[in-house]
Amino acid sequence: MTTLVARPDRVRLAGQRQRAMMTAHQRLMILMLLFIVAIIVIGGRTLAFAFIDDAHGSGRGGSAMIPARADIVDRNGVPLARTIDAYSLRVVPSRLMNDPRRLAADLAAIFPDTSADTFYAKITGKNPTLLRRRALPEEVAAVNALGEVGFEYPRVKERLYPQHTLAAHVLGFTGADHRGVIGVEKAFDERLSDPALRGEPLVLSIDSRVQATLESELYTAMVNLEAQGAAGIVLDVSSGEVLGMASLPVFNPNKIVSGSNAARKNAVTYNLYELGSTFKPLTIGKAMDIGVVTSMSRRYDATKPLKVGRFAIHDSHNMGRWLNVPETLIHSSNVVTAQIADEMGQAPLEQLFRSLGFDNRPQIELKERAFPLWPRSWGRLTTMTTSYGHGIAVTPLHLASAYGALVNGGTFYPATLLKTERGRQPAGKRVFSEATSARMRQLLRMIVVDGTGTKADAPGFRVGGKTGSAEKPSAGGYAHHSLVSTFVAAFPMDNPRYVVLAMIDEPKGNAYSSGQRTAGWTAAPVVRNVVMRIGPMLGIIPDQNRDVDLSDLEPLLWKPKGEN
Amino acid sequence: MSDDRPQPRRRVAPVAAPLFGGAKPHSGPRLSRADRSALGIWFWEIDRVLLLLLTILIAIGLVAVAAASPVAAAKQSTAATTIAPLYYLYRQILWVLLAVPAMLVVSMLPRAQARRLAIYATLVFLALLFLVPILGTTVNGAARWIGSGVFRLQPSEFLKPFFVVTLAWTLSLKVEDDSLPVVPLSFALTTVIALLLLNQPDLGQTIIFCSSWLVLMVVAGMSFRIVGGLIGAGLAGLVSAYFFYPVATTRIDIWLFGEGDSFQVEKAHAALTGGGLIGTGPGAGIAKFALPEAHTDYIFSVIGEEFGLIACVAIACLYLAIIIRVLLRLLDEEDQFTILAVAGLVTQFGGQAIINMAVNTQLFPSKGMTLPFISYGGSSLIALGLGMGLLLSLTRRNPYLSRSTLDNDWNPQ
Repeated sequence: MTTLVARPDRVRLAGQRQRAMMTAHQRLMILMLLFIVAIIVIGGRTLAFAFIDDAHGSGRGGSAMIPARADIVDRNGVPLARTIDAYSLRVVPSRLMNDPRRLAADLAAIFPDTSADTFYAKITGKNPTLLRRRALPEEVAAVNALGEVGFEYPRVKERLYPQHTLAAHVLGFTGADHRGVIGVEKAFDERLSDPALRGEPLVLSIDSRVQATLESELYTAMVNLEAQGAAGIVLDVSSGEVLGMASLPVFNPNKIVSGSNAARKNAVTYNLYELGSTFKPLTIGKAMDIGVVTSMSRRYDATKPLKVGRFAIHDSHNMGRWLNVPETLIHSSNVVTAQIADEMGQAPLEQLFRSLGFDNRPQIELKERAFPLWPRSWGRLTTMTTSYGHGIAVTPLHLASAYGALVNGGTFYPATLLKTERGRQPAGKRVFSEATSARMRQLLRMIVVDGTGTKADAPGFRVGGKTGSAEKPSAGGYAHHSLVSTFVAAFPMDNPRYVVLAMIDEPKGNAYSSGQRTAGWTAAPVVRNVVMRIGPMLGIIPDQNRDVDLSDLEPLLWKPKGEN
Repeated sequence: MSDDRPQPRRRVAPVAAPLFGGAKPHSGPRLSRADRSALGIWFWEIDRVLLLLLTILIAIGLVAVAAASPVAAAKQSTAATTIAPLYYLYRQILWVLLAVPAMLVVSMLPRAQARRLAIYATLVFLALLFLVPILGTTVNGAARWIGSGVFRLQPSEFLKPFFVVTLAWTLSLKVEDDSLPVVPLSFALTTVIALLLLNQPDLGQTIIFCSSWLVLMVVAGMSFRIVGGLIGAGLAGLVSAYFFYPVATTRIDIWLFGEGDSFQVEKAHAALTGGGLIGTGPGAGIAKFALPEAHTDYIFSVIGEEFGLIACVAIACLYLAIIIRVLLRLLDEEDQFTILAVAGLVTQFGGQAIINMAVNTQLFPSKGMTLPFISYGGSSLIALGLGMGLLLSLTRRNPYLSRSTLDNDWNPQ
């Protein structure tokens, strides 16, 4: 640069100007790059809003993403209830621009369930009114296309049950005030609407696959048997978690119509039934526990009805011989069970029923729980009838929980609708001894292998269970032709994991059940189908080579000559 | 090209021709290449692509104001008086009808006259800016306006383009005479304006004024060391603004920490994303009704809801196209004053657009800044028209002149 000194001033100025110009142009390009970067950042951010709304950003726009009421999901995260923004349709009569007659006709064409006159009355009224509390987006678009400025489409929060009727009785629904009315929505209303917690979905113990299976099998049976209703439960025996709870007929929580109150009743927790023979294993289990039944081979007289005062206890199918304990259960003998209960006495049986919670509402979070019909006075006869499930009415859930305790080693867990982490389940309460439970697993399995429950035998799943066909109480006695057929089972019996209960309310004996109405022909097949479908989902592999060891009990069964 | 005769390359003097020149012997049909009237020359000299882009922008602006107008009208309506939903659209059309001719007229000024206009106007609006604290009208807690009713104007909006042209002229004097203390002078002027603006208070405009001064300094060749120092000082100023300037404190709090009243931010987010990618359709927006200042500061969010985020991205690209077009054309320019003035004008324009869009996408804390040519507002629109007129005037060049290559070494050593 020293040579610059030698140059004339004018030339140097030109050179300076030249360099200044180059610098300026260079810096203009830097400026341009900065602008490009800024626009790319803004455009990218805008597109990010479109595709991944991270809901925090730098501001707090995300607070709009926290639902007004927490979602409800099943144990695997499948959404069961969500809150969405729905449209409603409102009219401001003072702002109407078009002929109300024509508008009313147009509206009636869009909403065919409402007459044009009704719409006319509303849009010619004085005050702004809601024309529709809920409208689908396409309906709103159609109304908007009418070009009337007097219509408004306020967004309203709507509770959506995306699985339609699935688990409707468990979920319940919310009222117009967005508070729960029944079901989980009611039971966990505080939790669901708590601003601090509603960002997190409420995780239920329900498995929607199990629930769907249970509902579909029960529905098939209910329709084919021309029954009034049906109910079913799938219960985890080691934690009390309810994987499926179905009550039929169902209702659609998305569309609550008045007058369907009967369908909204949860038969599993709210209906009381005399569950009949399904009580026998409980009674006999207690008798084994306290040493009244000491030997499986001891025989009891079942040749004739048992007379107690003026009352006679009959067997539905008189075997005409003496029966041992396994035979009693296999053939479901009222007479023998009553004798065992009589021998045991009232106190232990009452204590058993109380420890199983039969004297109180079923233990679950729902609010719709019925108080059992508990015998007013425990006489000798009461002890004998309740031993086989008559004279006491409980809910199906009571029975399912009791069977959980009967097969799981004797520990009673209250049922829960909340997903429970493994190892976090509440401490149970011992109701039966381990030994009794082990023996009972054999006996229940035998009922399915050799007795009334053979139709429940899902091949390879080691199902064990007990039938119960009770006549429904009616005015002044029992209605002989309306049965409540129940099958309560557990599987796999060598290491029970789930209790499955199916109950058919007033099945008809038709071709589908070979003319039978009893549980063995109506409810048991439901359990078999449910087990065969849900077993693999729950990780239970059917295995024809595994089974409960029945070798010590099989020889006790009397078989006619010729049969081996 | 149908005309296969080679045109003689000659410099056309844009002087003394009547604007709507009649039948001159050497004039071709109106606006043809042979048209030698002043209008014809203007047409061939002006940056027609830029003019087209601005026209598109103004058209988009009218559509956007039409979408946002019912919101503002509903906000302003009371039980007693109802404002027609499209009131603000009609007003905006009126402003456009004033602003566009203003822009075209200014764009027809020869460079020297444009410069002179800018210098005089700077003095006038600077005087008005000094009067604002005394005579100002307070709206939304800020005294930024002078006068009332239709004749209410915001001096800072008008001062902005004229100021930057004046600044460019001042700095360009240095090339003529190195001894002039132009940098301290321009710094003092900018500081005075910044203090006046902060007093209003108007942090957004302050940032625009300061950054346009900085850009002029950078383009004028200030060393990067000093530039870095100044940017650091600017950031320090912002930090101190956060601590000592209450308006900035609250807004930055909301933006950074979500503290305080984040109402605006949440509503803007809800509106911007309310329509998804393709929007709810014109007039079908709902979230926009919850927006404050839907027709001015948050019009970008209204566009987002009704026309979709795609439209938002397209608008951002349109601004970028204008900026790039202007800056690239400057590469053919050799006059120091022109380069500085045009760079300053386009920085103001682009900076304002970017700040507004960044606020709408929650990248920046909210501040009162309009989206150029799209937001509603008389002062803003006419001032922008004048500014763009200056820009168009200064970027006019003979289409037959090509840039002299700068890398051509005049002084071989």
